[in-house]
Amino acid sequence: MKLTLGYIHIRDVQFGPATEIKGGVLYVNAQELIEKIKEDERIAGVKVELARPGERVRILPVKDVIEPRVKVEGPGGVFPGMVAKVETVGSGRTHVLKRAAVVTCGKIVGFQEGIIDMSGPGAEYTPFSQTYNVVLVIDPVKGLPQHEHEAAVRMAGLKAAAFLGEAGREVEPDEVKEYECPPLPQALARYPDLPKVVYVYMLQSQGLLHDTWVYGVDAKKILPTLISPTEVMDGAIVSGNCVSACDKNTTYHHQNNPVIEDLYERHGKDLNFIGVVITNENVTLVDKERSSNYTARLVEFLGADGAIITEEGFGNPDTDLIMNCVKISRKGIKTVLITDEYAGRDGASQSLADAAPEADAVVTAGNANETITLPPMEKVIGYPETADVMAGGFAGSLQADGSITVEIQAITGSTNELGFSRLSARQY
Amino acid sequence: MVKEIERAGIPVVHVCTIVPISLTVGANRIVPAVAIPHPLGNPALAREEEKNLRRRLVMKALRALQTEVEEQTVFAN
Repeated sequence: MKLTLGYIHIRDVQFGPATEIKGGVLYVNAQELIEKIKEDERIAGVKVELARPGERVRILPVKDVIEPRVKVEGPGGVFPGMVAKVETVGSGRTHVLKRAAVVTCGKIVGFQEGIIDMSGPGAEYTPFSQTYNVVLVIDPVKGLPQHEHEAAVRMAGLKAAAFLGEAGREVEPDEVKEYECPPLPQALARYPDLPKVVYVYMLQSQGLLHDTWVYGVDAKKILPTLISPTEVMDGAIVSGNCVSACDKNTTYHHQNNPVIEDLYERHGKDLNFIGVVITNENVTLVDKERSSNYTARLVEFLGADGAIITEEGFGNPDTDLIMNCVKISRKGIKTVLITDEYAGRDGASQSLADAAPEADAVVTAGNANETITLPPMEKVIGYPETADVMAGGFAGSLQADGSITVEIQAITGSTNELGFSRLSARQY
Repeated sequence: MVKEIERAGIPVVHVCTIVPISLTVGANRIVPAVAIPHPLGNPALAREEEKNLRRRLVMKALRALQTEVEEQTVFAN
């Protein structure tokens, strides 16, 4: 299985009479896009807005961020099982509109979505201040139940990304990369002297606005399973998940998982990257026990010497993380965990809800309880009044002048547990 | 909260879904609950069945409260 990704570097986004890419500029015909989104009868209205790096613009409440892509060769299409037919992806050629993004914005539950600032101190905390964003502000028909509302907004974002991605079909990419995923016996034989590493990819799966889909299947209903890293890169996993947006994987994160990219980078040099195991984070103890048992067995079955485990979210998923760590470690396989911390605003509290002696190699993505004041912006896309009630916000978060004081957990991607952020630690 | 109430000399039963977290934080009497979004009930059950489930959980918690323990104990049955 070999996937070629062709990166088309996008340098600006503008409205235009046709949806196309010319000279690195993505032009968007807003009317066409709106018509596409409004095919879904659950959606009453949609506004399309543009937000560029450096602009004095705030976007909230953000549900998902998606990278526009198009399948140009090989089986399947973008977002299989969701937008395209449920064909196996991860081979052939896919074009990527690099630095372009679709951002969906909608008041689904109100307190569970994130913030993106395009400039100022908040922009430092989110990678999506650096992308050229096509923002969809979506209003549902009256009386639409929350689950339906979530599904409608999720699908609108994916459809919009597929629609914009089409503009890149005939464009010659600026950069081309190839990723290969050979059958396991070949993968094992290829670098016999290098340590064999498996990536354990935990997917949030706890209900409304806490869900993830794999080929259209709700991840809470899967048993842990194997997936090719190229399938992940090619849109097999999509997000329905934005609660405490700091450490939730948007669809963009899944499409660009830095753990997978870095494992590929070091593959054949100092390690042998032999596979990815996806698992879930469910709401009952028996599910957590079953999934962690199964995950550990799959990692052992692959013949791994080491496993990198990434968590999604915090609180009870810390238990899934620790169970995975303990059960894999007890099979004699080394583990490294990537998580974030909720250590209180002073950083003095216990960081994770669960712990074990086996968790002796842990990478942190930052303390989500740190507070920040986001200054007023010239323009707010979405619904600013949600700032008072969003996770990481508190009564009085939204000041009269439009500034917002929140914990960084309200900022989309600020403590992302795939390491997709710019936070780092410094010793004084 | 469990530990502070016990520190004041009053025995506590922690009814919770994710038992490992309860063990990590140091509760002494633990009764496993149903699920994180609905620890003490189950919306999938019929009304009467659910009432029985809730009663069983409360009775189990009361029994746990009256049981002497020497170490952290999970009342699974």
